Amino acid sequence: MNLAKIANGVYKKYGVKVQATQDERSIIVTGECDDWGKIVEIGKLFVDKKSGKYVVNDIRFTGGEDRPPLLPAVCDDKLEGTEWDVVIIGGGISGCSVARELCKYNLKVLVCEKHSDVAHGASGANDGMVHAGIDIKHKCKKLHYVTRGNAMYESVCRNLGVEFERAGQYVIFTSRLIKFLARTYLIRAKKHNIPDVEIIGKKEICAIEPTVKDFAVGALKIPSTGAVSPYKLTIAYAENAVQNGATISLDTAVLSLEHTDSQITGITTNRGKFTAKCVINCAGVFADKIAQMAGDRYYSIHPRKGVDLLLDPKSDGLPSNAISLSPTLKTLKEHKNTKGGGIIKTVDGNILLGPNAHETYLREDTSTASCDIDEVFNKQQRCCPSMKRAAIIAYFAGVRAPSYEEDFIIERSAKVRNLIHVAGIQSPGLTAAPAFSLDVAEMAKDMLQSLGVQITENPNFDPHRNAPIRCKSLSDEQRDELIKRNSDFGKMICRCEQISLGEIKQAINNPLKVATVDGVKRRVRAGMGRCQGGFCMPLVVKTIAEELGVDYCDVQKGDDGSYVAIGNIKEI
Amino acid sequence: MDMVCIVCPNGCRLQVDKTDGGVTVQGARCKRGENFAISELTCPMRSVTSSVRTTVDGYPVVSVRTDGEIPKDKMFEFIRELSKFTLDKRVPIGTVLIEKVCGTDINVITTSEML
Amino acid sequence: MKYDVVVIGGGPAGLAAAIRASKNASVLLIEREARLGGILKQCIHDGFGVVRFGEKLSGPEYADRFIKELRDTNVTVSLFSFVTNIVKNDCYKLTYVCADGVKTVECDKIILSTGCRERTRNGIFIQGDRCAGIYTAGAAQNLVNILGIMPGRKVVILGSGDIGLIMARRLTLEGATVEGVYEAKSTPSGLTRNIHQCLHDFNIPLHLSTTVTRVIGKNRLEQVEVSQVDEKMRPISGTERIVDCDTLVLAVGLIPENELAKDLSVKIDPKTKGAIVDQNCQTLTDNVYACGNALHVNDLVDYVSESGETAGEDASKPCGKRKLVPVKVKGKFLYMVPQMLDVNADVSKVITYFRASEELSKQKLTVTVGGKEIFSKRFAKLLPPEMERVVIDYSAADLASEQILIELKEG
Repeated sequence: MNLAKIANGVYKKYGVKVQATQDERSIIVTGECDDWGKIVEIGKLFVDKKSGKYVVNDIRFTGGEDRPPLLPAVCDDKLEGTEWDVVIIGGGISGCSVARELCKYNLKVLVCEKHSDVAHGASGANDGMVHAGIDIKHKCKKLHYVTRGNAMYESVCRNLGVEFERAGQYVIFTSRLIKFLARTYLIRAKKHNIPDVEIIGKKEICAIEPTVKDFAVGALKIPSTGAVSPYKLTIAYAENAVQNGATISLDTAVLSLEHTDSQITGITTNRGKFTAKCVINCAGVFADKIAQMAGDRYYSIHPRKGVDLLLDPKSDGLPSNAISLSPTLKTLKEHKNTKGGGIIKTVDGNILLGPNAHETYLREDTSTASCDIDEVFNKQQRCCPSMKRAAIIAYFAGVRAPSYEEDFIIERSAKVRNLIHVAGIQSPGLTAAPAFSLDVAEMAKDMLQSLGVQITENPNFDPHRNAPIRCKSLSDEQRDELIKRNSDFGKMICRCEQISLGEIKQAINNPLKVATVDGVKRRVRAGMGRCQGGFCMPLVVKTIAEELGVDYCDVQKGDDGSYVAIGNIKEI
Repeated sequence: MDMVCIVCPNGCRLQVDKTDGGVTVQGARCKRGENFAISELTCPMRSVTSSVRTTVDGYPVVSVRTDGEIPKDKMFEFIRELSKFTLDKRVPIGTVLIEKVCGTDINVITTSEML
Repeated sequence: MKYDVVVIGGGPAGLAAAIRASKNASVLLIEREARLGGILKQCIHDGFGVVRFGEKLSGPEYADRFIKELRDTNVTVSLFSFVTNIVKNDCYKLTYVCADGVKTVECDKIILSTGCRERTRNGIFIQGDRCAGIYTAGAAQNLVNILGIMPGRKVVILGSGDIGLIMARRLTLEGATVEGVYEAKSTPSGLTRNIHQCLHDFNIPLHLSTTVTRVIGKNRLEQVEVSQVDEKMRPISGTERIVDCDTLVLAVGLIPENELAKDLSVKIDPKTKGAIVDQNCQTLTDNVYACGNALHVNDLVDYVSESGETAGEDASKPCGKRKLVPVKVKGKFLYMVPQMLDVNADVSKVITYFRASEELSKQKLTVTVGGKEIFSKRFAKLLPPEMERVVIDYSAADLASEQILIELKEG
């Protein structure tokens, strides 16, 4: 790769002067630019997959000010002086799944998550699709883990007590040309072992999904696509890890890593300084920052924000399947980095639209703007014209963490002896996690053994986690029996989603000890319905306070500092 | 001057003018509107609702109101008076908690049934 | 168990309906919460019952009058009970859950008095961060009046609906600073007297044609961005202003709660977002009634109780075959209830509620049947926030023509 030539091309195309150098593992690009979009595009131009080197994009952004990372307010010595076999940085789907797999061995495992709950980042704010992998063109780590992970979902979700539905997905063709070209998908599916993919005709797709009858000429049917609640799966992994002896320390941010002789020797957090024999970097959008702390930054993460919309399942004109429009030749050119989103049916019965994709220099900006709502809705409405905007009951943004190579980085550090990188885990990282977490656990085991640690299997490891009780899904007889055992299950708190007091108490007393309004909402859906917590929020606050034996004013919405109230009346 | 009567939900729009001998009120659909306008000009009065803390299980607070109107400029003093009060037992609706509040002839009564 | 009438919802509409129905029928009242009274429990401000009792009661006091009256009837009350399913065979079979288990009950008639819910931040597409400190007015009211806790110190209120105005006063009296009330429309949404006694009394500014366009805050709300809007309520770029606050209270509208109505295939009026009913509050689904705020959002509880009584009265009596004639409207109406007239039933005292779609002065309401005027009334001023009520006597009209028209025009 001729770096000077590319740099020259960059100057011609973007008018930006950049310098590019390389070392054993990276191509390092430097310069200055005030347009973040350009910086990302330039970074991509230096990608050289053949060499196996990663782009480190150090072009300085002058068009805006980065925000300091969000840090927990708490500061104590809870973890001071502790010693761990494995410390996992980041409590997303990667960190939690790896922690759970590591519990199969007799190891002291700690997960540090800086937020007040797991799945706070992209793991909690994506569409929950379990991908078949049909969009991945070439053999790469992503493809390897996505196809393996997809096949594991039934067993993983059964073990972890998480709802999973493999309802398939339909990519709608709007022209005969595209339908013809789609045969390449069949070839790809065969090559990549994606099962049962077929092209179906107009008649068949219109019978399955009548909302597309006016424009569909056929569809690609991908039966192995599924749906899962991304945060419930992450929570389930985390809870199962805790049940099997792992420690998940919430509100715990890694502030610095001490390293000498190519080895991490100390981890400093807001909860104290401690040591680990092995460190696993699962830090999502901060993975490159953690790598830097370890003196091992050889890739860059460029945050990409996506907004999803949730529709009221009771509104009219909604599709009943996961559908998306097949790309046309034009859109293929325009949207290189996203599958363009789609319409998805969640396991909870909601219809979810999205996501869009926008590069951003703000790693933690989960704010939404009205242009996002318009963009996502208008785009997906082309696939289902009968949907109404008034059906939108919620929307949220997640920031994905791709590397410039757009592939997963799952490997032992070449430079730091006791560090493993699990980075660049963007969509479909959720699909891939059950598979790569096994490999990462093995990597960690090998690493520890090579460092002289004796590893035995954990004879008490129980892969099973009981699914939380969900009254609404019980038969009347089962529900009656349950209420007779515990009357709290007969007291309805959330009217929109039919959540009883018993379910809320169960959510509050979860193994991770997350007792926040948002924590309850994610675990049992109280406040997720039409009224968005208008009726049940005060009751949830009351229940949390009573279960914890604290004042109402001590209850938080989510992260530390997100107080619901500031004090008692007549005391202000 | 223009004024809105707050006595009842009709919310009559009143035109109030000071004349030599007194006050003329136009736009009131009833006598209460006239009285309201005159009192607004001389000594505006308000009934006030609020709540007081309790130590009774299941009732962090109980709602109260004045059993008549107090001078408008005593509203905050009234609230301060209430903050000194804590109810320590269940009482029936309409129970007088504080008599002659803020030096008026008005009492504070509970407005929720606790029995 | 079988009842003549099951009333679903024990707020002001359901209480009135149950009391009235119990005079001629066996009644079960199903209430979702632990106590009767519905939203009145937290509406501790006064002004309730001026029409009905000639007194300025607080919400809990108003409810208490009905609850005490209910005690002297034979109405069976089931508290903390939530209807999960209704099926129709010869009669209606309801399934509900309560602290004792899952129960089923049969009945001939159902009265839906399920109230309304608030439009949420997502319902009006508020954008920005996802921080704590953003509450609907009703939720904020619950925190203050039921739990006794203060949502914040510096408050911005979006929407000039009555609950928002009431909360502005309530929070101010409790020591908070209400920075202002912002309303996207060019006219206030709440009652004029509330603008006066809740805002003017406390020097709280009301900013019309202005809305909140963004919320900003890490964990707790820190600021909101407000913008002026054009006549189509679109924010005008360049008018943005940042306001420091820790709390945003949303009083941006109420929507009749009609989940059970939908399950019963009750036809909904897109204008009221409640059921289409005849003069007896019976929906287009035979033997299913709707009343109170589930029927249309009222601004006075007195009329909520009134429609409950209308429904309760009719549901308690055997009914013959209905003949429904649509009541057509012409002119600047926001909505009109009832939308249908059962010409086989009593038509001599048809209580008709309506709202104008915009601020109008010097209006004449005329009712014609088959082209012949049978009723008219003049209004000096009509405001969308203020619901009007007229009682129309159709008994002298030739209803066989099936041509009923209610018109609003200048005059």
